[in-house]
Amino acid sequence: MFRNLSILVFVVTVGGVFLHWIAAPCKGCRWNPIKKVVHLFTLLLFEQKLSLVGAIKKLIYLVALFCFVVLAVTGFYPLLIKGEHISGYLMMIHATFAPIFILCLAFLAVAWASSYRFNKSDWPWLRNILRWVTSLKIPVSESIEPSSQLFEKTGFWLIVFLALPLILSIIVSMFSIFGTAGQEFLLAAHRWTALVFAVVAIIHTYLVIRVQLKR
Amino acid sequence: MDACIEQRIDSPLKKGFIVALAFLLTSSTLTAAGESVGKLLGDESDGSRATPLHLIPLFAEDENGEKGEQIEPDVGFPMPFSTRFTCGDCHSYKIIGEGWHFNYIDPNVVPGRPGEPWIYFDSKLGIQIPLSYRPWLGTFRPDDIGLSVFQFTKIFGRHMPGGGPGEVESDDIDDIGRQFVSGKLEINCLACHNAHYGQDMGGDGGYAVQVTRENFRWAATASCEFADVTGSAAKMLETYDPFMPDPDERDAPRVTYQKEEFNENDEVLFQIIREMPDDRCYYCHSDLYYCRAEETEKWISDEDVHLTAGLKCVDCHRNGIDHNIIRGYEQEAGISLNPLAATSSCEGCHLPKGEGEPQAGRLGAPVPTHPGIPPIHFDKLSCTACHSGPWPVSETVLTKTSRAHRLGTPNVNKAEEALPHIVSPVFAKQSGISVAYMGRLLVMEGGKISPYKVMWPAYWGTLENDSVTPVEVGIVEKVVGGVFADLEFPATGDWPEITKEKIAEALMILGDKAVYVAGGVLYKIDNSGELVEEVGHIAAAPYMWPIAHNVRPAAQSLGVRRCEDCHSTDAPFFFGEVAVDSPVALERPSKKKMVEFQDINPFYAWVFAFSFVFRPWLKVIALACSAVLAGVLLLYALKALGCVARFLVEKE
Repeated sequence: MFRNLSILVFVVTVGGVFLHWIAAPCKGCRWNPIKKVVHLFTLLLFEQKLSLVGAIKKLIYLVALFCFVVLAVTGFYPLLIKGEHISGYLMMIHATFAPIFILCLAFLAVAWASSYRFNKSDWPWLRNILRWVTSLKIPVSESIEPSSQLFEKTGFWLIVFLALPLILSIIVSMFSIFGTAGQEFLLAAHRWTALVFAVVAIIHTYLVIRVQLKR
Repeated sequence: MDACIEQRIDSPLKKGFIVALAFLLTSSTLTAAGESVGKLLGDESDGSRATPLHLIPLFAEDENGEKGEQIEPDVGFPMPFSTRFTCGDCHSYKIIGEGWHFNYIDPNVVPGRPGEPWIYFDSKLGIQIPLSYRPWLGTFRPDDIGLSVFQFTKIFGRHMPGGGPGEVESDDIDDIGRQFVSGKLEINCLACHNAHYGQDMGGDGGYAVQVTRENFRWAATASCEFADVTGSAAKMLETYDPFMPDPDERDAPRVTYQKEEFNENDEVLFQIIREMPDDRCYYCHSDLYYCRAEETEKWISDEDVHLTAGLKCVDCHRNGIDHNIIRGYEQEAGISLNPLAATSSCEGCHLPKGEGEPQAGRLGAPVPTHPGIPPIHFDKLSCTACHSGPWPVSETVLTKTSRAHRLGTPNVNKAEEALPHIVSPVFAKQSGISVAYMGRLLVMEGGKISPYKVMWPAYWGTLENDSVTPVEVGIVEKVVGGVFADLEFPATGDWPEITKEKIAEALMILGDKAVYVAGGVLYKIDNSGELVEEVGHIAAAPYMWPIAHNVRPAAQSLGVRRCEDCHSTDAPFFFGEVAVDSPVALERPSKKKMVEFQDINPFYAWVFAFSFVFRPWLKVIALACSAVLAGVLLLYALKALGCVARFLVEKE
């Protein structure tokens, strides 16, 4: 079940992102998307005029992104393509990149948390709903953020939140606490959380790219 | 209705029919009340769990192989009793003879998981070869090396419960006369079921000695507590008639019964029990591991945890009248006709499955929790991998078994190096077994790593189409015996120092296609007359059979201390050394890594084991980062709560 559902979820996610890209292209991407993508990677990969902290953040984000790709491929490839559990060299690669990813994630959580705080401009629709339901004279927000930012913020906090069960489910299983049934539950929790985490991370990365491109 | 019946029985013909019908019904009812049709008194339980009394007359076999007269202990030269006709009066001997301990001669029997072979060895000829009538891959049939059923029984019958080849009439012209003198080695029911402390299997005049004296007919009688057997059929001429004993023939086999054991009806009280004591099993199924010198003593080493918990061997290894005893391995249920096969394996008792009546806790079996053991281990390892056999050390140890080293019989060579050489524990990946059975192809799953006993075959053969056929021992004796005559043979019973020159010399005499297999190497003479060695030939592969006992308690299982019990770069489980036994002096000592038997890339195994060095770091990093992530979540959740609070008091 997990295998089929995962394949479906990944197809829907990637397909959805692709369709969204086509249906709602960002400003300036419409006529020359390749140029924009190249520009994005230039921003990411080449030396920029950044502060030391900014450079470290960018570097760590890149490492985290790379680790995520490695973890996703090593974790899902054997299960989705070969229909078997992760083992062998893939397991070793997975376990090698996992702590690096976790370190990067913890750093980014600390570094980015402030800038990803929700504010009242993120919820214009909430005000609208409240105004419509209650007929009160609730003031309209002066500055309205684009909805992609709301999703980007939500994505960030979901990533931070999901990282906890994702990490703990596998780390706790390494201690002599849970028996076979508990171990199987923890592994299942790791798998399902990883699936949701991967989907959120893909969408978040897509939104980050869109925002970067817009800028 | 009554009137109707009365009317019907008026006719004389009808009366007769009804009388006949009534007789048939009555007689069949009586039969059902006593025994089921075709079954003898002891074939089927009446439900009582009490042990039936066995005060019974003894019967001998007559010269025609039929049931003879009842034995009277004080009349002339009494014959030995026949179990076929004594026990067989109440228990279907034929059905019992089809049980696992006796049916190996039958080619139609599903061989099941490879088990311990009979090992024929001769240090003077450089031979150590696994034999079995069962078609287990890696074993040879006794007739492949020229052993007739009679010779096989004489050599190995000491640790057989009789039956099987012991009852097969030999077609070897040399054996027919001898078989008449010796008689058949009938199933020795007493070997397992006699609870009397006087049951003598390995004593000076006991069962084993009688078998080596070719006193097959007398062996079961000699083993019981109330009879002595003297003489030797092997010393008698083939013209000797055991049914017409000559009082002057001092070497003739002769039975003396203890008359006080017989009652006035010449009946004897046997202490027969269904659930035999472990001692009876131990006679043929003892193991001795040379892990530490002091542990070879019984009082120092522990028994199987099941026995110390109060179980008996037969609590798990059960059978009915068919003696189709449960061997107890994981895949057995797929091929066994024993209805308890599925529930009598390790999993069957400790991890019962199914949706029927709950089976957990049978025989007091605890359900293991395996805390901290990733479930992948249960796909890759058998239960015995962690729980059975001696704790693995850096190198395999020499191992003795009752059947291979005739333990428990007189004048056993107690030297550690005594042949045949078996090493253990070897952690190897078991292969799947597929067998055609009753029109079905049964596939027994394999692929799990289990502990094994291993022996490296050494034998002379002929190579044709890349397949090696052993040369008969008689021929080898004539050819190789002469070549090896001047070698020194150690008193310990170890191999002599066989040189490659000697092997080459022997091969030249044996012929063009002659080969010698030893220590995993196939030696042959090439076209230029030089001795060449081929490593890894299938004919030189080691023969392995699983270790099931002794089961260690959970607290002594592999991995109970930490993962590094197995996952470290020097863990015996993967990187222990397996001794490659060879009679060829220059090849000793030769070693292989355990991982080579596990179908795992050695480099991968090493890297994987090495990665466990970083496992504690991974745990620390992951837990610390989790704390940071949780802290960030908590901090901003509180901040958000503050915002909401401020909003609700309308400060913003």
